[in-house]
Amino acid sequence: MDWTEMDWAEAFPRRRSMPWRTLDTEALVVDVKSGLLYPLNSVGARIWELCDGARSVDDIVGVVAGEFAAPEATIRADTVEFIERLADAKLVSVERRRKGESR
Amino acid sequence: MAEGAPCIEVAGFVFRVTGLAAPDRAWVAERFAPFVSRRVPTVTVAVAATERYRRGRVARPLATWCNGHFSLASHPSRATGDLAGRRVRFRVGPGPALNPDLFRMLCGFLLARAGGVLLHASAVVVRGRAWVFSGPSGSGKTTIAQLAGIRPVLNDETIALRPGPRAYSAHATPFYGSGGPGMARANRRAPLGGLCFLRKAERFSHRRLSPAETVARAFPEVMLPKRDPRVAAELLGALAALAERTPAYELAFAPRAELWEYLDGLD
Repeated sequence: MDWTEMDWAEAFPRRRSMPWRTLDTEALVVDVKSGLLYPLNSVGARIWELCDGARSVDDIVGVVAGEFAAPEATIRADTVEFIERLADAKLVSVERRRKGESR
Repeated sequence: MAEGAPCIEVAGFVFRVTGLAAPDRAWVAERFAPFVSRRVPTVTVAVAATERYRRGRVARPLATWCNGHFSLASHPSRATGDLAGRRVRFRVGPGPALNPDLFRMLCGFLLARAGGVLLHASAVVVRGRAWVFSGPSGSGKTTIAQLAGIRPVLNDETIALRPGPRAYSAHATPFYGSGGPGMARANRRAPLGGLCFLRKAERFSHRRLSPAETVARAFPEVMLPKRDPRVAAELLGALAALAERTPAYELAFAPRAELWEYLDGLD
């Protein structure tokens, strides 16, 4: 996938087979294929929670921008990069939708 | 053959090992001597030699369960069982009659089902409470056990942590490391005082870990394959509960006896 052309309407649902839980404000996600555990900080944990398959990248950026004090442009760039990493690690899948389509 | 079947107790589970020929019974009795128990068995392990030919392959350790039945594999041996019946069938390949790796995996699996964990760790009892020292191979677990002096060592490689009504207990296990059988000389337990994740250094230093950091550090050290989502989820839950009730530290230590004084000063 060419991430520079990420479609803001795409959704990135968490893979169902990934056990995870939150502790305090952080999250811990297990990749059962490798047996590795990925710790996520509070912002990462929030994005992870929001990767529910219903929300697009735009939706996620909007929620995070409403909850954390940082410029939206920064949040958008960081969110895209974080989701790229989740996708690279195959912790989330990529669901393409037609414009205007919602779940 | 069940007559005279040895019973081995690990972390409160009493395993009655049946199906062993006399020489194998003697081997089990000697290998697990400090853990031989006269208490009422809670789990029956029926051992059978594997006769069926299997083509050679490299198999990864496995732990999985479904609908109350579980399956564990540590090549070349396998164990299957049902949780309700507390009965396990061991199919062992060439080698020890009771494959210690598979037996350790069984202990880890039953512990996880009981809310506990089997941790790659050493433990030393200091003033009645167990300090547990965890980390990958080479991080200093055995070194610390060897620094214990007169303080009781629970093990230098494998420690069982089990929740109780009021606190967690650290239990000795028969699964020793490079320190040899002397590191598993007695089947004892102690209330859990604290968890340390080790790093060798020239000077002593420490940092208190958050519960999430504790789980992240402990997860790789749990002695159970984690590729089954149910097993992984169970372990996450067990470790989260442990981390919320137990002080945990990252500990840089120098291999000197001052370690014990340093631990006294941990907040």
